Order: sequence, then C-alpha cells, then structure tokens
Amino acid sequence: MTLATSEASRTRATGASLRLAILLFVADPQWLVPSTVAPIVFGLVSFELFRGEGPYFLTYAILGAGMMSMWGQTLYGSGWATGQDRNLGTLEPTIQAPTPYLYVVLGRIIWNVVAGLFGGLVVYLVVVLAAGGPPQLPNPLLFVVLFVFVMVTLASVGVVFAAAFVYSRYAGFIQNVGEFAFYIGTGCMFPVVLLPFWTNPIALLFPPTWALDALRYVSIPGYAGFGWGWGWDLAGAVAVTGVYAAIAGTVFTRVERHVLETGDLSDY
Amino acid sequence: MNDDLAIEVRDLVRTFESRKGFFFGEKTHTEALKGVELNVGRGAIFGLLGPNGAGKTTLTKILSTLLLPTSGTVQVLGHDVVKDTSWLRSRIGLVLGGERGLYNRINARENLRYFADLYGIPASERDRRITEVIERVDLTWAADRRVEEYSRGMKQKLHIARGILHRPEILFLDEPTIGLDPKSARETRKLVRSLVVEGVTIFLTTHYMFEAEELCPRVAVLSKGKIVANDSIAGLRSRVGGDRTIEVEAYGFEDREIDRLKGLPGVSKVAGEAFGPLMRLTLRVRTDDTTPETVQGLLPGHPELSVRERRTSLEDIYLDLVEEEAQ
Repeated sequence: MTLATSEASRTRATGASLRLAILLFVADPQWLVPSTVAPIVFGLVSFELFRGEGPYFLTYAILGAGMMSMWGQTLYGSGWATGQDRNLGTLEPTIQAPTPYLYVVLGRIIWNVVAGLFGGLVVYLVVVLAAGGPPQLPNPLLFVVLFVFVMVTLASVGVVFAAAFVYSRYAGFIQNVGEFAFYIGTGCMFPVVLLPFWTNPIALLFPPTWALDALRYVSIPGYAGFGWGWGWDLAGAVAVTGVYAAIAGTVFTRVERHVLETGDLSDY
Repeated sequence: MNDDLAIEVRDLVRTFESRKGFFFGEKTHTEALKGVELNVGRGAIFGLLGPNGAGKTTLTKILSTLLLPTSGTVQVLGHDVVKDTSWLRSRIGLVLGGERGLYNRINARENLRYFADLYGIPASERDRRITEVIERVDLTWAADRRVEEYSRGMKQKLHIARGILHRPEILFLDEPTIGLDPKSARETRKLVRSLVVEGVTIFLTTHYMFEAEELCPRVAVLSKGKIVANDSIAGLRSRVGGDRTIEVEAYGFEDREIDRLKGLPGVSKVAGEAFGPLMRLTLRVRTDDTTPETVQGLLPGHPELSVRERRTSLEDIYLDLVEEEAQ
C-alpha cells in the first residue's frame, strides 16, 4: 500500500500529536498542579509582593506570576514530552513512523502553548479578583497579542529542548541545570537590562528576550528596556523566532541521524 | 537487487562505541555484527535464531531503519535502508514487544489511532482498520481500557496490532510470543501465517525453537555477530549430522563404549552431557542402519540403561551450531 508523507499527512501527524498531548494531560490528574494550583499560588504571592508599588503594580504582578506559570509549562514541557517518550519506550516506534519527528514535536508544543496560556489566564483572574478590578493597560489589545507571541517564542526554544531530548537521555540534566538561568537570562523574572551588560548579547540570541521586552514596553508606561522600543523588539523577536523555525528541520534531521548512529533511542 | 528478495544484506558491520571511566573519557568499541551476509525471499517467513547478545536485535533494527550500519549495504524491498528511509518506513512494520513502547495512560484504541495518523492511514479508513486489527489480535473486549491495566501478554498483542495497522509489506517480529499464554501464542502464530498468505514477508527472531520450526521454512543462526548457518530446516538437519537422534542414558560410560557407538553405521556425532549421576549420550544418525536396539546391544552391563529415539529438533541443530561456533 502507498502511504503519503505529504504536507497533509504531516499536518495530520501534528494534529494527532496535539490530540495525544491533550489525552495524556487529561488522563494524568497531577497536571492540575502546574496548570491550575501553581498559577493560583504564584498569582497571590505576586500580588502581595507588588501591592502598593505604583499605579502599574497589577501589571507587574500579572507579568511576573504569569511568566512564572507559563514559561515552565511551554518551554520545559516541550522537552519533557520527548523525555517521556524515551522513558515510555515510545520514541522508537514514533521515530520509526514515516512522519518526521519534528511534526510530532510541533503538536506537543502547540498544546504546551495552550496550557501555558491557561496558566497565564488563571494568574490574571486571581490577581484581578484579589485587587477587585482589572489592571490599567495602556493598550490591552497589543498586550494580549504580545502575550500570546511570548508563548510562541518560548515554544520555539522548546523545539530545541525537544531535539536535545531526542539527542540524548541526559538532556534532562542539561535542562534542569539551565532552566533557571534561562528564566532569569531571558527576562521572564525581571528585565534583562538589570543584568550585567555582558549577559545581554547572549540573552538576545533567545526569542523570548525580545518578546518579553516588547511586552513590558506596551504594558508599563515609562519602562526602560533595551531602549529601541517595542516595535524593534517585536521585529527582533519575529526574526530570531524565524531563524529558530528555519533551522528546526535541519536540527531534527541531524539529531535523528545521530541517534540512528549511536543506537540509543531506546535508552532511558 | 533480485526482485524475489525482500532483504539483501552484504558484508554488514555494526560497531557500537561506549564510554566509561572518569568523565566518560575512556572509549570502548563492540562489534555487534561482523560481516553479515543474508538474503530473504519475498512472501515467506524467515526465522533468525541466536543466543542472547548474538546481534539479532541490532540486525532487526538496522533492517527496520532504526539503526545505521557502520559499513556494508542493506536493501529492504529493493531500497537502501540508509538512503530511502522515508520510503521504507511506510512499508515496514516493526514489533519489538515488551512492557514498554505504549502510552499506558490511554486506551488501546487511542494508542492505535495516534500511530495510524503518524502512518498517514486515510482518515476514512482509520477507525475501520483499528477495529480490524484489534479483532485480529483478540483485544476487542479490552480495546477501551487503559493500557496500564493490560497484562504483559495483552501489551504484546497491542504491539502486534500496531505493527500491522498500516498493512506493511514486510513485518519484523522480535520475539512476538514472549509473555503470551499458550493459547494466545498459538493464535499469534496463526495470525503470522495468515499475514504470509496475504503476501506479507515476515522476519522473525525467536528463542522458541518449536516456534521457528513450526513457522519458518528457512532459518538463519546468528552467533557472535556472524551468520553461522542459513538454510531450510531439512538442510540444517543434514548439516549437523542427520535427522534422527538417539539418546542413551546410564550411570556413566567407558571410553571404549563411546568409541563403539561412534563406529556405528550412519552415526555422525556422539555428544555427552552429565545430569547428576546420570550421563546422557546424544547420537546424531544419518541412516536407518543404527536403531535403539543396535545401541542397546552394544552396551551390556548397564541394567539402568535407557535408550530412546526422536527426530532431531531445531533446538538440537541450534545448540550444535552455536556450540560449533563457540569452539
């Protein structure tokens, strides 16, 4: 029989992977903690921390706790899903299927973006409830667009983490060591410009750095980030994300070749 | 490549590199396959036998595009496994079996649906195909249960269902009946035979000699990374010295008695093995001239003597070949 590996079947594979991610999420109640309970806690703590810090304290609270809830779900989750495939022994049959593994990873990343946004929404609702009203946002529509775009940039880095998990079973170690450096280094916690200058060029290699700077520009009047404004930040984020997307296929092809050479696909 | 061949392997070498020691600084190389040559015809069941660590799984993974050869050429269905990976993957089924390799938190139907989509099975056919393979492996009653509730045997059946879901032209089965109860194992063998009738080529690795004997018209024995025999079972019988085996048991034998047995007409080999105080001599016999009665007549003075004849089994052949290779 003839089976297509056309774009249509690749899209189907991404859809199947998204569906599987949802099924696995629903089937595993422990996910309620990072998706719902943790954002509630982060939201309340953040609200108390920033209470009384000027007119935009609610925005600070939402951005701080929101990023804390979302970055792990989106970025860490993308690599973790591939690590799970290794643990379950499903990486081997998945790689053995005719669809390139990248399309499977994309499905999971889409789900992780959605789950991350859900965490962000929970934080928003918690802070709004605690404050008794919504935050002051100079441009709410742009805020929402950039908020979603931040997730896309986090997902683009998630692809790299997923590739690392295909490459080696030790990727979890690298991810565990690097996660907080990444969290701080890309400005999830506070603006990158507050860090020593030598860290800034490195931070700009990662799409979320640009997107988060843009998000702060549009949501906090008077914010002094990299200094070139949210428009250039957005352009930079799109460009760097584009580079990540462009090299993703090559990265996965090379990583797959490497694991077929080493023969450690079933190791966990 | 000959069109009648499903698999053609030439001088296949596969080396694994591993690292150990302080900061993994010390490299070691293990040669798992050492110049394997193999032809497998289309539309038949081919058995690959070998002791643990012989390289069976390595060879199966190379043939099914999950591992790259270090050197040599490997063609499956007329296509190179290194260059035409994508083309081959949609036409190959692989059943590695075991407890792993399935999404345990979802049910069998959902597991199959996921892989059906990865294999690009048309959406209009997908559900029907899933129901069909679930029925073929006799899992209909448990199809909507989570896989984590499955026994090892049920998981094995689900692995098989996944392997045949996309109707592959060639199916690689690595120990397909391991963990199955006798009834399920028999049904699996029946399923394998029915797939061959449908034109599927089966490449089977197994430790169960009776299974290979029952299913495979032709088998190869892999030992220490080399094919030490590749023939029909009748051919292998003749190679190891006859299709009749006479077993003689007593409380020890003298050397001159063993020499006398070796000199009997048609006896190609006499091997001894101790079982506590008992000693068993196994005679491979090529002709009908030597019978249990002849043997009994040559061994007077053993009131406890027991002599019986049986057909030389594939297990006998296999053990002879592996032993030969070890020497």
